Amino acid sequence: MSNSRTGVTRRQLLVGAAPVVAAAPFAGLAFANGREREASHRGHDRPHAGHAAMIGPEVPAPGGPHDLDALTYPPAALPYEPGRIREYSLVAQDVDVEVALGVTYPAWTYNGTAPGPVIRATEDDLLRVRFANGGSHPHTIHFHGIHPANMDGVFEIVNPGEEFTYEFPARPYGMHLYHCHATPLKKHIHKGLYGAFIIDPREPRPPAQELVMVMNGFDTDGDGENNFYAVNGPAFYYAKHPLRVSRSQTVRIYLANLTEFDLINSFHLHGDFFRYYPTGSTDHFEYTDTVMLCQGERGVIEIDFANTGLFMFHAHQSEFAELGWMGFFDVQD
Amino acid sequence: MESGSLAERSRAVTMRWRLWALVPILLLVGTVSLFAASGGSLLDLVGRSPPPADEFDIRRIELEPGEIRIRVTNPQREDLTIATVTVDDAIVPYELDGSATLERLRSATVVVPYDWVEDEPLSVGITSSTGIQTTGDVAAAVATPGPTAEGFLGYALIGFMVGVLPVALGLLWLPSLRRAAPDWLAAFMALTGGLLTFLALDALAEALELQAALPGALGGTGLVLLGVGASYLGLTFVSQRFATAGAGRGGVLGGLALATLVAIGIGLHNLGEGLAIGTSFALGELTLGTFLIIGFMVHNVTEGLGIAAPVAERRGIGVGRLALLALVAGAPTIFGAWIGGYVTNDVLAVLFFAVAAGAALQVVVEVGRYVARRAPGGLTSGYVVGGFLAGIAIMYLTGLLVG
Repeated sequence: MSNSRTGVTRRQLLVGAAPVVAAAPFAGLAFANGREREASHRGHDRPHAGHAAMIGPEVPAPGGPHDLDALTYPPAALPYEPGRIREYSLVAQDVDVEVALGVTYPAWTYNGTAPGPVIRATEDDLLRVRFANGGSHPHTIHFHGIHPANMDGVFEIVNPGEEFTYEFPARPYGMHLYHCHATPLKKHIHKGLYGAFIIDPREPRPPAQELVMVMNGFDTDGDGENNFYAVNGPAFYYAKHPLRVSRSQTVRIYLANLTEFDLINSFHLHGDFFRYYPTGSTDHFEYTDTVMLCQGERGVIEIDFANTGLFMFHAHQSEFAELGWMGFFDVQD
Repeated sequence: MESGSLAERSRAVTMRWRLWALVPILLLVGTVSLFAASGGSLLDLVGRSPPPADEFDIRRIELEPGEIRIRVTNPQREDLTIATVTVDDAIVPYELDGSATLERLRSATVVVPYDWVEDEPLSVGITSSTGIQTTGDVAAAVATPGPTAEGFLGYALIGFMVGVLPVALGLLWLPSLRRAAPDWLAAFMALTGGLLTFLALDALAEALELQAALPGALGGTGLVLLGVGASYLGLTFVSQRFATAGAGRGGVLGGLALATLVAIGIGLHNLGEGLAIGTSFALGELTLGTFLIIGFMVHNVTEGLGIAAPVAERRGIGVGRLALLALVAGAPTIFGAWIGGYVTNDVLAVLFFAVAAGAALQVVVEVGRYVARRAPGGLTSGYVVGGFLAGIAIMYLTGLLVG
């Protein structure tokens, strides 16, 4: 599952981006020292940026520059081929994950991360997902899509130490998702048992720089409200490590909302518009810069960046954005 | 000689039994070390104890232009680590004046550069490395007064206005009291008892309310009892010294000594009152308007009357003496306001109010003994009962002004 798609070097850490931050709506976060600001009114024309700016290495986010690569960059789409079998192996594991800088959360995961790995197949591939429960509670995998009732991950509860293999043809094409459907459902989902499930059309989509974003939240103190929000796991990760993309090629984002507790989540892009294909299963799209998704809703976003530079993306619920669901694209020629 | 050796032997026996007193202590030390060495495996028999709550104690939130300062203490048994700080549900950058990991009962100050909005509520959250968030609220954001000369003087003035002045005014009733009939004088003494009873209960309630908010590790109720007990017994000791010094006859205090005692009791109460005013003002929980200051003044005028009543029988008390009494009773308000305004400490506040409660209670007892002996009809006369109830009623009604 090597990353065949792009030659884009997204492996560079962003530095010296401070000026952009001044224009960002979260500038208040970045340098809010009023006294210094007052001083700057008197003496200087630029506010003091010594405090942690919300971009680059100063951002309070856990993880190194490549920690989320496996979740961010999906395995490559394969051209349609009759009778092909796509095999995946998922293991439920109880893992303490760092959901925000210095904050660990006892998560339930597929393969050690929350969200779990990206599962990808081409329409009509036979999907075979071997699921082993190495956790401490009964779990399942419930895939969205078209499949037989006994492959739905609702009745076939997999107890700790047991295994189950899900097998069905991947249908229909689009951006889907999977999650545990053991009860209590709310607990099993917000603990981290979910992930992206991409089914490519038999007629391949045009080449693009592909990204996956699974919107999630973590309620670390168990009060039924999320303490942190993000895409693909840790808060503010893509603010610390902006996603480097090329302006010359379409950016395609497979977006899903698996945020528990909150009714909706959203995606907003700064400085540009995009085509949004709800569920990614038809050619129908909307041209916008903000989309709203309820839990379980997902779609495909395609951006043709008009400009280069740093463009913020975040939930347009300001609270979610300020609790971690915020990042940057670093668009380069 | 036999009797001598007998005495010696009995002394030796006494000594031996005195030493025996050490045996339980040694055994306790032994048992405790054995239990500790077992690594608590005994407790496993009754199941696993739940993990700690990991909540911090937010002691004080100070606001300065462009800055929020949060004093955080770890009340838990285990170390706690500060991982994330939020203001109004937004993660904010912050600085710490020390290590992020706090040992038990250790504190740190979190400094957040923040453009807060004046007069609007504000909530801060400190999240531990285990994800537990502790929140602290500011009812209405106003800049916390710093230790400026002006502020210092301001608190002193407020303390003077609500403490010293009303007590001094109340003392001016002395000439009228002197001309009162013995029955009425007894009634005014009983009134003193009534108002002190009110103050005692008021302070006790305040102490108990404040201790309830303290982290369990600081032993709230014990602290209150300690304060009440220490001040009650301490003041009992003082009053006994006054009595033996000849100020009273037959162990009953009267006159200036009793008035001094009443002044001390009221003074300790006013220390707490000043502390409460200073703290609330500093933390933006109280709009210290004109009305409130007037309320406290009216409320405290009666205290002057309480001090005047015991000395009404005595002639020739100089103005200097009276001024001193007014200071003893009123000046602590100033100190309280200073302390509350600048160093707010919940433990100190609990202790102050507990001490005030104990002192007031003790003075009620002294006044009761005095009235029992001197009042024409004893404790059960209509004047005394009426005066006592009137004292409580006056405090209650004027207290509504500051509620």
